[in-house]
Amino acid sequence: MDLVRHLYYFTVVAEERHFGNAAIRLGMAQPPLSQRIKRLEQELGVRLFDRSSRQVRLTEAGLLLLGEAREIVARVDRLKELVRHGATGALRAGVPPDLGAAVIAALVAGFRETNPDVRLTFSELWTADQVGALAEGTIDVGIVRHPVTAPGVYFGETLVQTPGVLLPENDPLAAGSAVHLADLAGRELLLFPRDGEPGLYAETVTECRRHGFVPAEIHHGITLGLVVAGSAVALGAPVGMPGVRWRPLLGSPLAWRASTAWRVPTPEVTGFAEVAARILRENAGMTEEGMAPARRVRPRPATGFLT
Amino acid sequence: MTAFDLGGLFRAAGVTGRLHALDIDSGTEVGFGSDEPVPTASVFKLPLLVEVGRQADAGRLDPAERVTVSPADRVFGPTGISAMRDEVTISLRDLAYLMIAVSDNSSADALVAKVGLDAVNAMLAGFGLVQTRVTQDCRQILATMREDTGGESSVTDPDMIARLRVLDPALANRSTPRETARLLGMIWRDEAAGAESCAWMRGLLGLQVWPHRLASGFPYDDVSVSGKTGTLPTLRAEAGVVEYPDGGRYAVAVFTRSFSTAMNQPRADAVIGTAARMAVDHLRSLPDV
Repeated sequence: MDLVRHLYYFTVVAEERHFGNAAIRLGMAQPPLSQRIKRLEQELGVRLFDRSSRQVRLTEAGLLLLGEAREIVARVDRLKELVRHGATGALRAGVPPDLGAAVIAALVAGFRETNPDVRLTFSELWTADQVGALAEGTIDVGIVRHPVTAPGVYFGETLVQTPGVLLPENDPLAAGSAVHLADLAGRELLLFPRDGEPGLYAETVTECRRHGFVPAEIHHGITLGLVVAGSAVALGAPVGMPGVRWRPLLGSPLAWRASTAWRVPTPEVTGFAEVAARILRENAGMTEEGMAPARRVRPRPATGFLT
Repeated sequence: MTAFDLGGLFRAAGVTGRLHALDIDSGTEVGFGSDEPVPTASVFKLPLLVEVGRQADAGRLDPAERVTVSPADRVFGPTGISAMRDEVTISLRDLAYLMIAVSDNSSADALVAKVGLDAVNAMLAGFGLVQTRVTQDCRQILATMREDTGGESSVTDPDMIARLRVLDPALANRSTPRETARLLGMIWRDEAAGAESCAWMRGLLGLQVWPHRLASGFPYDDVSVSGKTGTLPTLRAEAGVVEYPDGGRYAVAVFTRSFSTAMNQPRADAVIGTAARMAVDHLRSLPDV
């Protein structure tokens, strides 16, 4: 039997605590998965899971082996990656499509300085697609938005961006120096696609509602055509585009978190993660987590309950 | 010199306006008629509150002392003890709460009886606020109004309003937008009295119930607005402090007089908030010095 592959199945079942879910994640049917776990248990001579309760639980022996099994799986992955990379000398990075040309240019330049022999290629992928691509091995490293859940993926330092609002130049709000989210009430919002950024999309929409901005409609996309046309506002970093005015959001109510992500930490991946953390700070206006102010509701007598 | 059109804004709302806004921490100021004398109406309760806090600090009055306000002590007014029918026994600090939260005239006069207007004016002079004077309590204000109007309580006759002494800064309680904003700044910087008393005053001003003037310009859950209104025929004012979620604190005093003598003018109330918002936004957009 392929012991490493069986150990990988074991780690997935251990993470999911559910044979059905684990089978879905592995893209296989449940009966063969159960059989393979049984074979692994026969091979090792211990029971790994307690199947008596409704939920699958790790036995003592299972718990003991889980850490080792992960280590073995990761090392074998790394072995394969090293072989592949030794041959190509390339690093495939995933970046969000709205990262911006200037930031990508800075990433290329920064990475070239520290890793002159490695060819860097980019795929523009949203977070959900990057997680899939990391699992399938079609990219080596990515820059993802949080919150994201991705078993087996490791994250670099979390950085925070506080987006402002991009307004049509003739919007009356563009006359002020800053805009409160509540001022945007009733306007249509242009936001990154929900399928691509499920975690951050939900977080952003929730925060907008909490601050009094319930968009009349949400358009999914990144080109600012709708903003230039005057029919929507967008959230993000300043852009120098005719017809669009950027204003900070009062109180920095939104905090978009991002980090690098990888499965196998080759030297190139680690190098890229270091460069990316620096470039995102210097060129994309991101800061360490915890810099964003906490939101405080300031009650007023006229808005109190039972008045 | 202002970079924005406050005059046009006031005109569009059917009022003339005077405004002064002050960044409490940097001292940056912006104004529109900042030094024009204005009758204060109930905004005089602000310096009165400060003197109550200072006398408590000095041990000259006990904020927990209870006083009795009988129906005979009561002065006219639509809120608080003025609107009640029976005798009330209440502490001095709770009188201060009613005076600020709902602008209760009877509470204000009970406090004037305790601290004295001379002490209020001495305090103002000590702070260098020489344009601000309190010469009348609510009973006296209402008495001169009765004399000028022949007893009519809700005045809308333009000729009669033109003769009202309570609207003449030379004869009534008075201040300027700049000095009123400065006094607020001192409360917020713990300079008007001891730190504990200043915190108490800030708390009371935050409990003021009216949402239609200064607060209407800042309709945000994470922005706090504290203040004191003032209202007399054609006069609408509010002086208060706006605190932003990023820590910015701005004292703003707005005094308006409406062209129309109608009592209900929502636009004239709301322009106080709109003008304050415009002024605060201007202060926030200035480059750091």
